[in-house]
Order: sequence, then structure tokens, then C-alpha cells
Amino acid sequence: MNDIRILGPLILLLITGCGGIQAPSSEASPTPQLSGRLELTGSSTIAPLVTEIAKRFELKHPEVRVDVQTGGSGKGIADVRNGTADIGMASRALAEDEQDLTIHPIAVDGVGIIVHSSNPIPELTAEQIVGIYRGESNNWSEVGGPDLQITVVHKAEGRATLEVFLEYFDLENPSIKADVIVGDNEHGIKTVAGTKGAIGYVSIGTAEADIQAGVPIRLLPLAAVEATTKNVGNGSFPMSRPLNLVTADSPGDLARQFITYCQSEEVHDLVVSQYFVPVTP
Amino acid sequence: MNSETRNDRLSLSFSRRFGPELATVLTGIPALVVAGMFGWILADILYHGLTQFSWAFLTSAPEDAGRQGGISTILVSTLMILGITLIIVVPVSLATAVELAERRSRSVRFDRLVRRSLDVLAACPSIVFGLFGNAFFCVYLKMGYSILAGGLTLACMVLPLLIRTSEQAIRAVPDEYRHAAASLGLSRWTTLFRIVLPAALPAMAAGLVLSIGRALSETAALIFTSGYVTRSPESLFDSGRAMSVHIYDLAMNVPGGNPRAYATAATLLIVLLVINGIAVRLTRIAGLTLNPSLEKNH
Repeated sequence: MNDIRILGPLILLLITGCGGIQAPSSEASPTPQLSGRLELTGSSTIAPLVTEIAKRFELKHPEVRVDVQTGGSGKGIADVRNGTADIGMASRALAEDEQDLTIHPIAVDGVGIIVHSSNPIPELTAEQIVGIYRGESNNWSEVGGPDLQITVVHKAEGRATLEVFLEYFDLENPSIKADVIVGDNEHGIKTVAGTKGAIGYVSIGTAEADIQAGVPIRLLPLAAVEATTKNVGNGSFPMSRPLNLVTADSPGDLARQFITYCQSEEVHDLVVSQYFVPVTP
Repeated sequence: MNSETRNDRLSLSFSRRFGPELATVLTGIPALVVAGMFGWILADILYHGLTQFSWAFLTSAPEDAGRQGGISTILVSTLMILGITLIIVVPVSLATAVELAERRSRSVRFDRLVRRSLDVLAACPSIVFGLFGNAFFCVYLKMGYSILAGGLTLACMVLPLLIRTSEQAIRAVPDEYRHAAASLGLSRWTTLFRIVLPAALPAMAAGLVLSIGRALSETAALIFTSGYVTRSPESLFDSGRAMSVHIYDLAMNVPGGNPRAYATAATLLIVLLVINGIAVRLTRIAGLTLNPSLEKNH
């Protein structure tokens, strides 16, 4: 009968779990307060950020539950269309056949080219960068720099910055001849900071924070635009992508309030802590 | 011709001389490699994970997308999902295994159909179960992203494995036991519960441990059914993130999430070992309660 003693609490846990279903809806709040449940699905890049925003929103409005799910930008758009989700998340602009939906930008993700701070190269053209990443140029002297071997730092498969980089330069991943494959942005920055001839690309927010902390790297301008979070925020920096919330025609009151909150200055610290750039309206 | 026989003799003496050593090397090296791989993974996860590991890690909720804080809410969700899976899977698989192994069914065709569909199900990639679970439990049965939907999806996934291992376990009980029971005039029902099942329990426990392992390590089937929400679940109809999903998200989506991914992986390993221990202990106790005479066998 020992097994019953051990199974007992488990069964009890499940039963009490079931009992809790009705509890939230039956509680009537005395003051008119926001309440209800919001469902968000979509881009896995945005999901961690929105999860953090949702946590703060729930603290402010204890009667509200915001459930954030992932599955990719495509799923977010599909789920909003068929009504499974209240709000979708898409880390790209809407395609032509998706214009029936409304986008609400909450942040921008900018990707910048970095080199070691001792590298005097002022700027690289798109062709030069493509040449370096395809292995056609192997020395900085070939692109107007000092006589120094180029170490190509590339991201691992599945990284969001990798997709932005490949799309901007119209590159196919198998055609890239990388010397070092790195995981996250910090890893890429450490690699470039430790190698004089290295070139890499990372999220601009992360790079700026590290440069301020004294890490010996430099962000190169792209198409004559300085790689700063400010330029990413005002949309002038070209290698970036928008992080959008997406809704169908008439979002409910709660959804509208949540979107406004996501765009407000109250959450800018959360946007920055996830290495994104807040949008300045 | 002469040289041929000499060659034969040579090769014969070669195999006689080196045969045993060769066999030892041929079977020993792969075994070593397998053990080494397991040791490497274990050491890597524990080395990276235990530096982050603390009591606070187990008792606090995740913060900053999982880079800070702990995994308490995720641990709760994982155990609730696993609980639902086991509550469904254990009775159903036990009944099906008994049906397949013990009942000399009148319809061989029915048995064959059941077995074949189980084998096909067991070979299905877990993402297929994930999409099925999402379409059937979440959308069609309107459960939404919920712990319940996740547990039921895992149950579908684990069921074929557990039925097949339980069936093998019951079949492995020697027929002499059944004959002896029949000669003593015991009913088949009594024979089953007093003799056959207790004798099969240790092997069935091994199957259960395998199933729990498969359920705990599942990511693809859960990300679209039990979901991604890190809040502590208030009911079975709430979405809750499982540990495997958390590890995947930290490692692939969250810059700087690797240390906590390792720590979560180490916790998952520990939870797995603890649950395995409990499962083995429970079946042993259950076996003794059903048939105390088996005690000397254990």
C-alpha cells in the first residue's frame, strides 16, 4: 500500500489543479479593471521579449493573463488570420498578400559589421563583404586595408542575425567560407575582439553596449550609414528588421491596451535588455 | 592446389590464434565508444550545469527570458505534464499488453492489426505527434495550449513503446508458471494478477522508465501543445513550458542563455534519475504486495 501513499499527493495535485479552472472567471473585481486572457503566437525572436513585457503587464493588471507561444512569424500571421491568436508576432515586414493585417512595430533588430578596433579600414562595400564571406578575398590588403589575414566569423545555423545578414547580402549559407562559427552575439564579439584580422556581424545593441564597456571592436558603417542604435531606431540603417505585433482588423480592448503598452517607454528597458532597439515614434 | 590448402591452413591458424582477441576487440571497442559517449555527455552537462545549479535555481521563477532566475514554474509544468501522461498511459498500456500477450485471441487478424499499428506509431517522428496534438487536442477539442493537451499528446506518443515493452515482459514469463497455476485449479484471472504480472513487473518497470525518459526529453511534441508560457500553471487548462522546451529556447533563441540551458539540462537529468529510482522501487513494492512469495527472487 506504499504506492498509494506516494501516488496520493500526485492525484490530489491534479484534482486541485482541475478545481482551479473556474476560479479566475468567477472572481468579480469591484473596480472596473482590465481582465481576460490574451493569446499571442509567432516569431521565436520576439517571443522572449514579449514574454517579459507580458510579465510586467500582468503585474500591473492582476486580472489579465497574457499567453505567449512561438512557432515562427508565419504561424503568427496565420493564427491571427484564422482567429486562433489575438495578436501575432512577426520579425519581418508584411508580404504583399498580407496587407489585410495591421502591424504595430515594438522594436527593431539591427545587425552591424564589426572588426577589431585596431583595424583602420573605414568602410567596406557590399561587394567587398560578399567577397570576404565567399572566401574570394583573404587578406585585408585586397580591400584597402593593412597586410593582414582575414578571419571570417560567421553565425551558426538558426541564428536570427544570420538570416538578416544572408538576406541583406543575398547570400546562400553553403557558399560561405567561414573560419570561425559562433553562437550568440557575445560569442561573436569575443572572437572578433581577440583576433586582429577578424570580421563578424552581430546585433548592434549588443555591440554598442560592449564598445562602451571597452571591448576592442569597431562597428563599420554600411552604405554610408553609421551603425548606431539611433540609426536603427529611426530606420535609416539598412541591415535591420522590424519586430512587429500583428493584428486583424478589429483587435479587442485588451489587445489594444497591451499593444500600446508594448510600444510605450515603460518597456524600453526590457527591449534594450533583449539586445533590441526601441522604436522612437 | 597445394598452396590453397596451405592458405586455408594459414587462415585457420590465424583465426584460431587471433579469433578470440579479434572478437574481443571488435565487440569491446564499440561498447567502449558507447559508454564513452554517454560519459562525455554526462560530464559536459554536469560540468557546465552544476556551476549554475543551486537551491534558488529550483525554487525561483525564470527572469529576463530565462537568463536570470530559476526554473521553479517550469519544473511544476513538467511534472504536471508527466503526471497526466502516466495516469493515461499506465492503465491503457497494461490492459492492451495483457490483451495482446495473454488472451489467446480468436482473431489473429485483429491482434496483427493492433501490433502493426503500434509499430507504425512507435516509429513516428515526434513532430508528427506534436502537430496531431495541436490539431486534435488544442484546436478540435478546444483545449488550447494547455498542460492537459501536452500530457495527452505525450501519452499518444509513449503508448506504443510502453505497450510493446509490457507485452514482451508478459510473454517472457515462462509458460510453466501458467501450467502450474492451471494444475492447481487457479482461474486465469487469479493466475494473471497473482503469478504472471508480478513476475513480469521488473521488466515492465524497465519499459516504464524508458517511456518516462522519452516523455521528459520531448520538445517537438510539446512546443505546439503545452506551449511556451513560463508562468506557474493555475490549472490543467493553462499553458506551461516543459523543461526540454526551456532548454531549446535558451540554447537557440536567447542570446546569453547557454549557462542556464546547461543548468536546466542538468536538472532534467537529475529529475530523470530520481523518477527512474521511484518507478523501480514502486514496481518492486507492487510486485511484493501482489505476490509475497516472489520476494526471494529480488
